[in-house]
Amino acid sequence: MTDYAAIIPLLIVALAGASAMLAEAFREPGERMPIAGLGLIGLAGAAVASVFLWDTDRSSFGVIRADNFSLFINIILCVVGVLTMLFSNEVVEREHLPPGEYYALTLFAICGMMMMASATDLLVVFIALEILSLAVYVLTGLRRASVTGAEAAFKYFLLGSFSSAFFLYGIAFMFAVAGSTRLEQISIALSAQGASGPPTLAVLGVGLLAVGFAFKVSAVPFHMWTPDAYEGAPTIVTAFMSTGVKAAAFGAFARVFLSPLEPLQSQWLPVLSVIAALTMIVGTVIGVVQTNIKRMLAYSSIAHAGYLLLGIIAANSAGKAAILFYLLAYAVSNLGALGIVALLGTPENEHDELRDFAGLKDSRPALAALMTVFLLSLGGFPPLAGFIGKWYIFNAAVQEGHYGLAIIGVLTSVVSVFFYLRIVVMMWMTEGPEVHRPRVPATALAGLALATLGVFYLGILPTRVLQLALDSIATIF
Amino acid sequence: MLLSLIVFLPLAGGLLVLAAGGRGDQPDRAPLVRNIALLTSLVTFAATLYLWWQFDPTSAAFQFEEKHAWMPDFGIQYYLGVDGISLLLLVLTGFLTPIALLSSWESVEKGVKSFSFFILALESAMLGVFVSIDLFLFYVFWDAMLIPMYFLIGIWGYERRIYAAVKFILYTMAGSVLMLIAIIALAIAHSTATGSPSFNLLDLYGLTLTDQFQFWAFLAFALAFAIKVPLFPFHTWLPDAHVEAPTAGSIILAGVLLKMGTYGLLRFAFPLFPQAAHYFMPFLATLAVIGIIYGALVAMVQPDMKKLVAYSSVSHLGVVVLGLCALNLQGVQGSVMQMLNHGVSTGGLFMIVGMLSDRRHTRLISEYGGIKAVTPKLVAAFLIITLASIALPFTNGFVGEFLILVGAFRWSPKFAAFAATGVILSAVYMLWMFQRVNYGELRNPHNRSLPDLSKREWAMVIPIVAMAIFMGVLPNVFLHPMEASVNRVIQRIVDRQPTQVQVQPAAAGTSERGQRGAGQP
Repeated sequence: MTDYAAIIPLLIVALAGASAMLAEAFREPGERMPIAGLGLIGLAGAAVASVFLWDTDRSSFGVIRADNFSLFINIILCVVGVLTMLFSNEVVEREHLPPGEYYALTLFAICGMMMMASATDLLVVFIALEILSLAVYVLTGLRRASVTGAEAAFKYFLLGSFSSAFFLYGIAFMFAVAGSTRLEQISIALSAQGASGPPTLAVLGVGLLAVGFAFKVSAVPFHMWTPDAYEGAPTIVTAFMSTGVKAAAFGAFARVFLSPLEPLQSQWLPVLSVIAALTMIVGTVIGVVQTNIKRMLAYSSIAHAGYLLLGIIAANSAGKAAILFYLLAYAVSNLGALGIVALLGTPENEHDELRDFAGLKDSRPALAALMTVFLLSLGGFPPLAGFIGKWYIFNAAVQEGHYGLAIIGVLTSVVSVFFYLRIVVMMWMTEGPEVHRPRVPATALAGLALATLGVFYLGILPTRVLQLALDSIATIF
Repeated sequence: MLLSLIVFLPLAGGLLVLAAGGRGDQPDRAPLVRNIALLTSLVTFAATLYLWWQFDPTSAAFQFEEKHAWMPDFGIQYYLGVDGISLLLLVLTGFLTPIALLSSWESVEKGVKSFSFFILALESAMLGVFVSIDLFLFYVFWDAMLIPMYFLIGIWGYERRIYAAVKFILYTMAGSVLMLIAIIALAIAHSTATGSPSFNLLDLYGLTLTDQFQFWAFLAFALAFAIKVPLFPFHTWLPDAHVEAPTAGSIILAGVLLKMGTYGLLRFAFPLFPQAAHYFMPFLATLAVIGIIYGALVAMVQPDMKKLVAYSSVSHLGVVVLGLCALNLQGVQGSVMQMLNHGVSTGGLFMIVGMLSDRRHTRLISEYGGIKAVTPKLVAAFLIITLASIALPFTNGFVGEFLILVGAFRWSPKFAAFAATGVILSAVYMLWMFQRVNYGELRNPHNRSLPDLSKREWAMVIPIVAMAIFMGVLPNVFLHPMEASVNRVIQRIVDRQPTQVQVQPAAAGTSERGQRGAGQP
């Protein structure tokens, strides 16, 4: 009999998404329905299911595997989802986003993300990629009246389709080499290669797969869509996709590149090293000149992708565990920061320009303080989550002797501090005009409290999570 | 527990301040906030004094140790301890923080709550830096320290405060992140040597590292510390930060933060990488001497009092670094003593300049002149602190500089000779500034009705002046507790001189320093 256990978390989230759609169908026009609550329940259920599946290493249909690695990512995605839901409750209302579609798409996207991180078959990875991408394309353009939103969605969709095609092409090559799209089959085929070196087809396949992943994690030079999509999307969607998509894509990236494709490491390592260095440098350097916060954080997210790539390049157990820890640290910090931007926005004023933040400390001192904490965490200051994440990543890189990349990493993170501090300067050191800033409801405050707690917990007492991350990678690689 | 208590007491007081200040900026609660903050800092000071009381000066080991696992898989511990060197720096931090708070009692009006919080958070981080024996923990405090200082300069500073604050934080960070890489590499080296990584300084002291590793790691450490000191040519952030910082910020910056650079050299860079230290010592000393003379010359032509004192710090800290490079008992002891002295006297100078600029809202020397006639008491305090700063006998500065010069002379008369010129120059620029500000005719009409010292200002002036004289008359009170620790540090570095030297057993015993020329790899 087929074992369905491994897909339970996915099923729960998909079910929540479907109920959100149904709820929308029964919603009277103008009625305010607590659909976010449905999402929260679903995500909590998925998280609980993931906790129960911990250490069981179940596999469904031979293509979805609930090992600790995918469960860890499931939990990161649940954190991302819960925080998004808590912020959305108010924002969706205020921005007049269609609630049914919004919540359903978000939940389906999360379902796709979970699937992507747990898939052990390249075709299933592709399907998951498409599930999450389609949902996110639509979410990006959800504000139908907005021109920038439409442009962003279209750009994202067009470039995303190209990258999907590359990815699919890569799968085809791998199939040609291994006669299967299952990761374990590919693994066997590639490790069995003779002294003549890897077949050309395999090298081509790896390159094409790398392009597909690099696009999804927004690594340079496949990052062009990121600033536009992040800026044009509703801020809350930016917050969601910048953290969720990254977690899912890096999960699959690590799973595919670090086990079946490991025999080809000497082929992909130099390429990825160049990409990582470029990603860190371009992300921070261009980030410095941005005046729109969403764009700035888009470039920051590109830079963070570069740091995460260091984990894949290091390819040791510290590196793999560091990816997981970093994704979580990045998720809480970035969602917190973008969540605050989203909460301060109104339909008239999106509150995403640097100057909008002038004098925030006078009108909203607590929000200014929290924003500072999130930004400093992104910048990698102790004792916050981002610092431990960066230390762990650089630790992994140095262990393997990648001193050059580690030095580029630390120096670019100093440069990135410059632009995070620009926002801090605006909030604390610049007098601003009296702007109307909407009030922040209790649910959103709960979300911010949760994120802050996470940032400090991961920064001061990281031992337990680090241990869990290490345990997670033990089973699969 | 005592050390943890001392380190986190100010932070706890800071959180209390945040709670007591209420929502937003409520001016009516400012007195309450100020008193809580002052009380916290005084209690912390008392605790550091108690620590000194309990301290065993005959032992060179770390005392009051606290060791808890933090991230055991990585060999990271919460490991605190204090020896004779850090003890006195702790006391200095405890001593200067209340003075810094008092200095801004009236001049800071907006955001008293957050101001007090940042000062106290900064104190916690500074104390943490001095008591950390685990390198990771040290780095956490070291980096965390930047944030409150950044806010202090950026929010409560003068006109170009934002520029100065950002420059301060980026400049310091750029140096310290490379040190982070070196720290990680060290822990990994420990792991290769023994099988498990460790950030424990005492473990790492015992490592035998290759010359190449030492070379690069020393450079990374030394860069971080040289920027903090600041050693010429890494000093450019300092004048900006000092000039733009509020008085309290300047006092702490000059009094404590700069000492972390020299402390770091002595505690980490030299003993961890002894061979590289030997190799680089002449370069460091050269930079120090250039800094001594350059700082003095630039200070001489400054029209702004605060900038003058800032450049004088570059010069004085150069002397401290030179003493460390001499690496004999006199030199190093003099350096540690001079760190304390500089904290007291330069802290005092910034305090006096702050008092003047609170009264007149300018720091330009040309705006003053002849104010001895209107504020004789303030000028008297100014005089004593100035004399302490230029190292008049029976003031604290004399003891430190004298020891350093003796130590430096025993090592290399050439460097000592250059450094001595710096000492003379410091008398020139300080006394010249003093004369232009205080003597002569009272020409500027704005200066006719300046008030003399208030009660609050007396409360700041008396401890500083008393300390300056006390340390000059009874230096042994301070030299004694550090002696054993200083000897141990020197031993640690000298014992592991380059291999060529160790094969000649006679050479190692002749002097603490012995073979400098032969020691270069």
